[in-house]
Amino acid sequence: MTLRSDHIAGGVFVAFGVLVFALSGDLPLGTLSFPGAGMMPKLVAGLLIVFGLLLVLRANESAPVATVPWSDLPHAARVVAITAAAIALYQTLGFLVTMALLLFALTFGTERRHPLAAAAFSIGVVALTYLLFAVALKTPLEPGILGF
Amino acid sequence: MGTVENLLLGFSVALQPDVLWYAFLGCLVGTIVGVLPGIGPLSGISILLPATFGLDTTKSVVMLAGIYYGSQYGGSTTSILMRIPGEAASVMTCIDGYAMAQKGRAGAALCIAAVGSWIAGTFGVIMLTLIAPPLAAFALRFGPPEYTALLVLGLIFLAYMSSTSLPRTLLMACFGLLLGTIGIDNMTGHFRYSFDIAELGDGIGIVPVAIGLFGLGEILSTPSATVVGKVIAPKLRQLLPNRREWRESAMPIARGSVLGFLIGLTPGSAHIISSFLSYAVERRVSKHPEEFGKGAVAGVAGPESANNAASTGAFVPMLALGLPTGPITAVLIAALMIHGVPPGPTLVNEHPNIFWGFVASMYVGNLMLLALNLPLVGIFVNVLRIPYAYLYPLVIMFCIIGVYEVSHSIVDVWIMLIMGIIGYGLRKFGLDPAPLVLGLVIAPTSKCRCASR
Repeated sequence: MTLRSDHIAGGVFVAFGVLVFALSGDLPLGTLSFPGAGMMPKLVAGLLIVFGLLLVLRANESAPVATVPWSDLPHAARVVAITAAAIALYQTLGFLVTMALLLFALTFGTERRHPLAAAAFSIGVVALTYLLFAVALKTPLEPGILGF
Repeated sequence: MGTVENLLLGFSVALQPDVLWYAFLGCLVGTIVGVLPGIGPLSGISILLPATFGLDTTKSVVMLAGIYYGSQYGGSTTSILMRIPGEAASVMTCIDGYAMAQKGRAGAALCIAAVGSWIAGTFGVIMLTLIAPPLAAFALRFGPPEYTALLVLGLIFLAYMSSTSLPRTLLMACFGLLLGTIGIDNMTGHFRYSFDIAELGDGIGIVPVAIGLFGLGEILSTPSATVVGKVIAPKLRQLLPNRREWRESAMPIARGSVLGFLIGLTPGSAHIISSFLSYAVERRVSKHPEEFGKGAVAGVAGPESANNAASTGAFVPMLALGLPTGPITAVLIAALMIHGVPPGPTLVNEHPNIFWGFVASMYVGNLMLLALNLPLVGIFVNVLRIPYAYLYPLVIMFCIIGVYEVSHSIVDVWIMLIMGIIGYGLRKFGLDPAPLVLGLVIAPTSKCRCASR
């Protein structure tokens, strides 16, 4: 049997539905006239499992997993890793430092642009954005522990 | 007050210099968002949402709505000149628009797209003016059963109108509904799936989910090396279509306007579906279907009119009933709620300044867009020369600012990143993320409505 993309997608959603059921054990179901906190999640998780199974059963209509293009995955993974690092540092280093580092890492690290061009772009854009939000729109951006 | 008096009241609001300025700003940003491939109107609206916090409600909604319908105008520029749809709703324009450009009729194609968009957009606003107030007055009589029925009807429509199969759409809507159950249960006060994270007590917001799925998800799925294209520079001297081209575009514009508006009233990605449907209709009714794909004027006029009428039509259920028909109207509803104005029947009846000011600003905005999109096309083409390698880091930065500034919560930014990864995965497996956002939006409402039956 050829493994198809809907086998994977349907399987993931069935597993997610089962996980929701497992996490909802302590939530009261209530009654139809007065539904408890667990009624809606369990009902929808049940539907999620049903539709996930339906996707698995009708998987022949989908493309084989081997044909799904993954050539963009390394680029996507680098972007995710750099963005995650920026989010982790955002409240500590503040807007100016974090965003300058984020832009530099993406343009120089991921896109292999000239380091000087990447640095000028990063600093220039961050400074302009800071002025736009903090001065023109009066929406202060995260200062961080450095205080700016 | 009658419709005319209300509309005059709206124009007295919309023609104030500062409201005009924000309408212009929204239209300009919307056009740029539409021109740039990889940034959709949803990302544009979500990213600029925090910038509207300091504005009053009317200016805020006028600017955000301007981005939405402005992007429908701008999307055609990239389609016609580069064969790259700047916005998903402009995919069909690529086919015949680019073929016209290759024949040296780029200016005529841009002009027909802009005039068609203006006629359709204005037709949509006239219909909004006529339909929304009586519908809102009627909706005041709605109780929980009627609203529950409307929500179910919306989901059924969504399932049929979506570009993917029925089980896929319902699967995504269920996933969204499940995400909507995170946080405190309003009926019982129980915490659900908050894992001792205080920020999750309020549930997952629409903005981080929408920006993650549609903004970051799109970037992750678009490696910079793939965003290349040859720009066919338009000759502005040839901007005016000839008599034959005007004649051939008249009926497609009329049909696209009506079709687009009707589809805009239904849930789903109406602005996208309407352009596909309009293209199919034009090809079927044409006396020369063989010309489609080789530069048929109707292949540009129909879809471009339809997507603009649909984007205006989507405001009818949003403003009159408070029901989002897609992720974009869901974010606009969130914007109104942030300003303390509930959308729906009470908006029309209790905040006439905001409602009629908004409607009037759309008449003005459509005129602004016509003026922006024709003479300034050369400037917008230059925006396309920004390398994608510099553009997408900028978008990621604005995504982070956009999400963080809504509630100053870093958890929301993490949610955005997770949703970006999920959005990337969904695209790989051919699943449409739009029903997910709709499910998330209606989850709290459907629970309360069902419980108070």
